[in-house]
Amino acid sequence: MATKSAEQITVDLLRPLSGLSGRYLLAATFFGGVVVAALCAFFYQVYAGLGVSGLRTPVFWGFYITNFVFWIGLSHAGTLISAILRLANATWRRPVTRCAEVITVFALSIGATFPIIHLGRPWLAFWLFPYPSERGLWPNIRSPLLWDFFAINTYLMSSVTFLLLPMVPDFALVRDRSEGLKKRIYGVVALGWTGTPKQWHRLETAMHIMAIAVIPVAVSVHSIVSWDFAMAPVPMWHSTIFAPYFVAGAIFSGIAALILAMALLRKFLHLEEYLLPIHFENLGKLLLVMSLLWFYFVFAERLTSWYGNESSEMAVFWTTQHGSYSPLFWTMVACNFLIPFPILAIKKLRTITGTAIASFTVVIGMWLERFLIIVPSLSHKYLTYSWGTYRPTWVEITITAGTFCAMVLLYMIFSKIVPIISIWELKAGQHVKTHAVRLVVRSSESGAD
Amino acid sequence: MPSPPVIYGLFVDPESAERGMNALHRAEISPKKIVVMSAEPFDDYSFSKMDHETPMPWIAAAGGLVGGMCGFLLARLTQVAYPIVTGGMPIFAAWPSGIVTYELTMLGAVLTTVVTLLITTKLPNWKPKLYDPEVSNGRILIGVLDPTDASRAEIENRLRGAGAVKIKATSVHR
Amino acid sequence: MAHQWGMAIDLDRCTGCEACVVACHAENNISTVGEQQAAHSRAKHWIRVERYYEGEFPDVTVKFRPVFCQQCDAAPCEPVCPTYASYHTSEGLNGQVYNRCIGTRYCANACPYVVRYFNFFNPVWEKPLNLQLNPDVSVREVGVMEKCTFCVQRIKAGEIAAEAEKRNLKDGEIQPACVQSCPTRAMVFGDLSDPESEVSRLAHSGRATKLLEEVGTRPKVTYLPRDSWHGNEIG
Repeated sequence: MATKSAEQITVDLLRPLSGLSGRYLLAATFFGGVVVAALCAFFYQVYAGLGVSGLRTPVFWGFYITNFVFWIGLSHAGTLISAILRLANATWRRPVTRCAEVITVFALSIGATFPIIHLGRPWLAFWLFPYPSERGLWPNIRSPLLWDFFAINTYLMSSVTFLLLPMVPDFALVRDRSEGLKKRIYGVVALGWTGTPKQWHRLETAMHIMAIAVIPVAVSVHSIVSWDFAMAPVPMWHSTIFAPYFVAGAIFSGIAALILAMALLRKFLHLEEYLLPIHFENLGKLLLVMSLLWFYFVFAERLTSWYGNESSEMAVFWTTQHGSYSPLFWTMVACNFLIPFPILAIKKLRTITGTAIASFTVVIGMWLERFLIIVPSLSHKYLTYSWGTYRPTWVEITITAGTFCAMVLLYMIFSKIVPIISIWELKAGQHVKTHAVRLVVRSSESGAD
Repeated sequence: MPSPPVIYGLFVDPESAERGMNALHRAEISPKKIVVMSAEPFDDYSFSKMDHETPMPWIAAAGGLVGGMCGFLLARLTQVAYPIVTGGMPIFAAWPSGIVTYELTMLGAVLTTVVTLLITTKLPNWKPKLYDPEVSNGRILIGVLDPTDASRAEIENRLRGAGAVKIKATSVHR
Repeated sequence: MAHQWGMAIDLDRCTGCEACVVACHAENNISTVGEQQAAHSRAKHWIRVERYYEGEFPDVTVKFRPVFCQQCDAAPCEPVCPTYASYHTSEGLNGQVYNRCIGTRYCANACPYVVRYFNFFNPVWEKPLNLQLNPDVSVREVGVMEKCTFCVQRIKAGEIAAEAEKRNLKDGEIQPACVQSCPTRAMVFGDLSDPESEVSRLAHSGRATKLLEEVGTRPKVTYLPRDSWHGNEIG
C-alpha cells in the first residue's frame, strides 16, 4: 500500500462520518422496516403463544435455535482476526480489526436475543440469572443453558471492551475535528484522552492482555453452545466431535462474514485504498483452510456414523443424505465446499469479487448446517411412531429476516458514527513500516562503510 | 498568583520530536516535568519510552483468580443451598461447576484489565491539565511543565533548534 | 424405605383401545387442541398408544405399546432444565414443577421417549367441558411443559389417607387413571421397593423388558411383550 500521509488517512477515514446520502437513508429505512416487522412478529408470538411458530412434537427447536447458533458462530470473526493476528504480529490486520470486532459485538448481541425469543415464557428469562430469590431456588448449573448464560455474557463483555477501548483515541480525533454538540458528545466518550506515552503504553498493554484472554473465551463459547446439543441423548447429537466441529464452523462462518462486510464497506464507503486486494487474498486463504477443515469434520462425523450403523443414527443419516432433508444437505455441501473451494484455491479467482461470492455462499451454507444439525435429528429420534416434521411459519421467517436486517442496519449506523478502520492503528502501522525501512537502510549503509 | 505556565513545541515527525526530546535531556530538565502527546503510539522512539514496566498482566491474572473463586463459590454454594437431585447427578456436579468457574475467571481477568487501565491512566479525565488539538492533526507535542523563568528562553531555543514548527507557552487548566 | 413407584404393562393384554388416553385427559386436565393443531403434532397425549404394523396385507399384525413418562432414574430431562422445573423426587418420580418452567423445551428434546409436551397455546375447554376439570390438578398455562406424573395427585391422596388412618398402603390401592381405566387390566402400578408387590413381581419376570434400555435412562416401566419383540424397530 502506498504510504499515505497521516492527514490523508484521517480525512479519508473520517469522511464516512459526515453526511447522509439519500441512498443511505433509503437503505436504512428498508432494513429498519424489516426489523420493526420482526419485533411485531415477536410481540405477536408472546401474546398468542409459541403455537404461532412451526414448532411441534418432537421438533421443539427450529429456526430460533438455528439462528442462535448461527449468530453466535458468526461472532467468532472478530476474535480470530483481531486477537490471533494481533498476537501473531501480522501487520496486514490493521485495517481489518475494527470491522471484525464490530461484527462480533453485533452478532453476539443478536444471537443472545434468541434464547429469550424462543422461550415459552420469555418474561421469566431473568430466572437464568443467579440471584437470591424469595423461593430460595438458584439456577441449575448442570444445565448447558446456564453455561450458555455465563459464556455468552463473558464473551459479550470481553468483546465490547475489546472493541471500545481502541476506539477512544479515534473518538478524541473526531472530537478535535468537530464543533458544538458533536464535539461535546465525542468529548464525553473520548474520556479526555490526550495521547501521552503512558496512556498509549497502558492501552496497548491492555489490548494485548485482552487479546490473550478473549481467544480461550471464544473457543469456550461455541463449545458450550455445541453442548446444548451434545449433552442430550438424541441420535447424531450425542457425539464428542461437537465442540471442535462447532468452533471450526464458527470461525469459518465468521471469516466469511468478515470478507462480505469488508467487500461491502469497500464499495459503499470508498475504502479502495485501505481495504486492498491483499487483505481479501489473505482472508481468502484462511477461508479456504476453514472450508477444508469443515469438510474434514463433516466427513469424519459421517464416516463414523455410517460405519457404526446404529439404527437410530442411520435414520438421521439417511434422511439428510437421501431423504427429505437431502436437497438442503447437498445445497449446504455445495455452498460450504464445492463452490468456495475452487474459487479460493485458484489464485486467479481469489479476487475481491471471488472471495466475496465464496463468502456469501459460505454464510448460506453455514446457516443451513445449523438447521440440519438441529431439525433432522429431532424429527427422527428413537421411537419411529413419534417421528415428525417441521416447517417454519411467517413468524419465524420474519424474525430471521429481521435479524439479518438488524445486523446490516447496526453496521450502517456504526460506520456513520465511528471510523470503521482504526485510524491510529493504521497510522502506527505505517510508521512502523517506514521506521523499519529506515533502520534497514541505515544498517546497510553502515555495513557498507 | 498567576497559574504556572507550560512551554511546548509541536513537531511534524517523530525524528524531530526525538531531537527535541534529546535537547531537553541535555538541558537537564527533570523527566518528571517533560510532557509528550501524540495522535499515535511511537513505541520505537525513545521519546515514547516514558512509562515504567506495568504489572498490568499480573493484576489481570489476580483478577482472574478472584473471578475464578467467585465462580467456584457460586457453583458450590448454590448447588448445596437447595439440593435437588437431577438425572442421578451428584448435588455438587464438578464438571459443570468447572465450566462456570472457568468463565468467571476469564471475565474477572478482562474486567480487571479494563478497570486497571482506567485507573492507572486516570481516565476519564474530561478536563486534562494540558491539551492541544494540533496533536490530532498529527503534531507531536513535547513540552516542559513549570519551567523556571531563567530556563524558558533556553527551552524555546532548543525546541526550535530541534525542528519544532510552533512553540506555545500557555497556562494549564486547573 | 421410601416408596419407589413403578409400572408394568402387559403387552399381551393391551388391545390398543386407548381408554387410558381418554382417562388421562380427564384426570389431568389435559385440553384437546383441535383437529388442525393435532394435525400439526401439537396434541398433548401424556399417554399415547404406539401402533406398529408388521407384514403385508392380508397377513398384517398390529402391535400396541402405551408410552408415557418412564420416570427414569437417570432421566436425561432433569439435568438440562435451567430452572429445576424437572427434577427427581424422593419417591423415584420425575417431578415437573409448572411454576418453575420458562419453556426452553430442552427437556423435551433430551427425552428419548418423546413423552414431554409443550403448551403451544393457552388451553381451552369449550363450555360445559370446563365443569369437568379435576380440582386436584393444576391447569397449565401457555409456554409450560407437562407430562405424565403417574397421577401424583392420587399417590399423594393415597399416602395422606393411609397416614391419617395410621396404616401402610396396600399394593394396588393407588391406581393412576390409566391403570384404573384399562379394561383388560394390562397395566399395573405399585411400589418397586416392596418385593411382594405385583409390579415388583412382574419387573423380575422372565418376560420383563425396558423400553430403550440401551440409552441408559434406567426407566421404571416394565414392558412384558408377548414374544421377544422390542417394538421400536427402525430401518
